[in-house]
Amino acid sequence: MGAALTVDSTLRCDVLIIGAGGAGLRAAAQIGERRPGTRIIALTKVSSPQKSHTTTAQGGMAAVDPKDPMDRPIFHTFDTWKGSDCSADQNVIKKVCDIGWEEVVWLERHGMHFSRTEEGRIAKRPFGGHMLDFGERMAFRACYEADRTGKGIMDTVWAESLKYGVDFIGQCVATELLFRDGQCIGAIIFRYPEGKFLAILAKATIIATGGNTRMYLVSSNCRGNTGDALVLALQAGLPVMDLEAVQFHPTGMVGPGILASEALRGEGAILRNKDEEPFMERYAPTAKDLAPRDLISRAIIQEIREGRGLFHQDHNAHHVWLDLRHLPKEVHEKKIQEVCSFFKRFVGVDPEKDLCPVAPTAHYQMGGIPTNEFGEVQSDSQGIVPGLFACGEVAAASLHGLNRLGTNSLLELITMGRVTGERVVEYLKDATDPEEPPGSRLIVFDQFSTYLNAQGKEKYAQVRDSLRNLMMEKVGIFRTEKSLVEAIEVLTELREMATHIPLGTTSLKANQDLWQIWELNNLITVSMVIAQGALARKESRGAHFREDYPERSDGFNYHTLVYMPQFNEVTFGKRPIDMSIFEAKGEHYELFDYIVREY
Amino acid sequence: MSTSYTITLDINRYDPDTKLSWVQTYRVEASAILRFVDVLRKINDEQDPTLAWSSSCEHAQCGSCGVIVNGKPLLACELLVKDGVGQFKTHTFKLKPLTIAPVLRDLVVDLEKAYDRVHKVRPWLIKPASPHPDGDEYRISPKTLETYSEATRCINCFCCAAACISTHHHFLGPNASMANMVRLMDPREMARGERMDILYREDGVYRCHTAKACSFVCPKDIDVSHFLALGKEGRF
Ligand SMILES: Cc1cc2nc3c(=O)[nH]c(=O)nc-3n(C[C@H](O)[C@H](O)[C@H](O)COP(=O)(O)OP(=O)(O)OC[C@H]3O[C@@H](n4cnc5c(N)ncnc54)[C@H](O)[C@@H]3O)c2cc1C
Ligand code: SF4
Repeated sequence: MGAALTVDSTLRCDVLIIGAGGAGLRAAAQIGERRPGTRIIALTKVSSPQKSHTTTAQGGMAAVDPKDPMDRPIFHTFDTWKGSDCSADQNVIKKVCDIGWEEVVWLERHGMHFSRTEEGRIAKRPFGGHMLDFGERMAFRACYEADRTGKGIMDTVWAESLKYGVDFIGQCVATELLFRDGQCIGAIIFRYPEGKFLAILAKATIIATGGNTRMYLVSSNCRGNTGDALVLALQAGLPVMDLEAVQFHPTGMVGPGILASEALRGEGAILRNKDEEPFMERYAPTAKDLAPRDLISRAIIQEIREGRGLFHQDHNAHHVWLDLRHLPKEVHEKKIQEVCSFFKRFVGVDPEKDLCPVAPTAHYQMGGIPTNEFGEVQSDSQGIVPGLFACGEVAAASLHGLNRLGTNSLLELITMGRVTGERVVEYLKDATDPEEPPGSRLIVFDQFSTYLNAQGKEKYAQVRDSLRNLMMEKVGIFRTEKSLVEAIEVLTELREMATHIPLGTTSLKANQDLWQIWELNNLITVSMVIAQGALARKESRGAHFREDYPERSDGFNYHTLVYMPQFNEVTFGKRPIDMSIFEAKGEHYELFDYIVREY
Repeated sequence: MSTSYTITLDINRYDPDTKLSWVQTYRVEASAILRFVDVLRKINDEQDPTLAWSSSCEHAQCGSCGVIVNGKPLLACELLVKDGVGQFKTHTFKLKPLTIAPVLRDLVVDLEKAYDRVHKVRPWLIKPASPHPDGDEYRISPKTLETYSEATRCINCFCCAAACISTHHHFLGPNASMANMVRLMDPREMARGERMDILYREDGVYRCHTAKACSFVCPKDIDVSHFLALGKEGRF
């Protein structure tokens, strides 16, 4: 290897945002609006924040319109609690559901191109698990921009951040958080084009790096969703929460798992098995095709296991059908235009005429870096880390508990992004420019040196594919003690192998190989936490399903905290579930107990 | 098993350390349903880990994987092998980086720099209309929205800019100009004067030669030149 690794230069700012996606930039816009002149630096792995993964979100963003005579925030709050299988935090649910509509209006006034009703108002569609009158009937609650709602949101918060002069640094990764006396003072970043390390010192740091499900063979997530920031937190001795809760979206397009939004079922699409039977009627008699995702994903696998699925020759994968043939032409052309084009281009079927092959795809992490309801990162079940905040998919406040309802994530980005931005503005009042960090050797230098000097026979693709198959088979939709114990064993081996993969080139400039090996190590680390959390949670709740413990158990009415400062040196903690609505004993409080979850 | 093809890829390479450029040939046995991004990954996996290329969402929604294939700018994630063979009627593909920004390595260009063009048109609402008296959202009829919603689908992949005969000289480019058109057609934008200044500035819409390459290559099937024409006509 060539020259020793060094930090090239140091930048200073007021706020460092690690992850310029929907959540990060909603926070940025809030800070810009409330505290003009704040020096903000926002990082992204892609070339422009506009290309962050939020831009791929399709179906909609839930919010109760106060002018809707039928819907009420308490129904939405209840649906989210029930949808989470009684494991989300009620203070957070209430806060988010109460301010949802304000945020929809904020987006609209800042230029988002929502779809409209004939009266020119924001149009709404039904979505899974969102119902009126505490689960009686379908609600029209998802505000949308055709089937590119995430793009509308991303474009809006990106443009607003540009307006406020946020400095974007693209094509980079934050590789390590910096601390001084327990306070977070910024991060080390690595720039891809020049291959240089920079230190960024900030009064406040917000982590908003999004999802992490690239460790699964079939996943709807973008290439860069590799759980980097979770590893940064773990390395800093901080806990992560509820990582065992991985959402599989029922309808990934057969093959790589490109998402076919729930909006399709919101518009009337029906799941069918090989006999073309609309099988969801058997699993969820009331909600049917709009039952929550965990139920439908398990139902699909059940159909396949019992021989009522189909097999796709080209992709070598099992699937069921999604039927969109009966939907009006107008719907195909205007409301679900993007997804229909994906089916045509990537699968070669025309949803107007053909049945579409779908199967569950790893989609969303409910858990993440634990925060309180203000977006402040927690050091344990109570304490907070000064100067460190988190919001968006990477954070667990927790709005979703162990299962998220569709359209509640975009809602979370925008509401919790704002709330976090607001809290940062408060925090900045007394904050001073941090001093230089203590001069200890950076972890990332050790990691990079290992990768740059590796001489083994292992191959990147081999380790990556083993990981993705392993997680899909053993830590996927269905889990057992046996599968999890096996997975943990293999993960330890893969981790070892990953440090021996020789690089194609040891140049630091635009070295895709080096970058990917760093990401692969992150994926393996996060996979270990998922498997450990899943093994410890001897019950089934939300998206976490244990075949050996198929029922929910009150003994597990808590959030899992996992500390893993070194690989596989795991300590567990617990965070209580916030039951403040139930405890306040107000109207309908009894519905916010640990209720039975049926659809 | 699915059908597969033996294809040849002649890829433009560039090494930022030595500043050397060359064309490297790879022969790949590729299943018909693989996307070109999968083919590039296969080359990394089986033949050459140093070949650099770019992608993110890999389903035509982020616009990170634009490349020039046999002269045509397109998204590598969107082109399936069988469609490539069908469309270009060949099993040999010449891959070059997009021409709208400096090359970082091989097929990776510095899109961050290309984005400066889009930033120049200030894509936010510069002066938003006053809120609706009821305090909630503005009212926009679906008919009005329909006149410009196609233009809002642009993902800034810069394929159109790479194909455009004017972009390389004095023109902001089709996508950036269209982003300005979106706001000119958006009833909520009150800063009409400033928007028109952007539209008709020195590197503005009149630098477009109406070759319509943009509309032909746009992976999102947006009729970009239609929006530029509306700009030239002043119809917004
Ligand atoms: C295909 C798809 C469709 C979806 N549809 C819906 C929907 O209809 N409704 C809904 O509510 N939810 C939906 N979701 C979920 C929702 O879109 C995501 O949860 C959400 O967009 C995540 O936003 P974010 O801001 O947290 O992260 P992102 O938008 O993913 O942004 C993360 C940012 O962090 C950057 N980053 C990551 N790691 C690092 C690092 N190490 N250093 C520096 N930067 C880093 C990334 O480059 C990116 O800029 C969908 C998800 C997918 C995948
Ligand atoms: S108009 Fe089309 S080709 Fe041009 S940048 Fe936008 S999406 Fe790409």
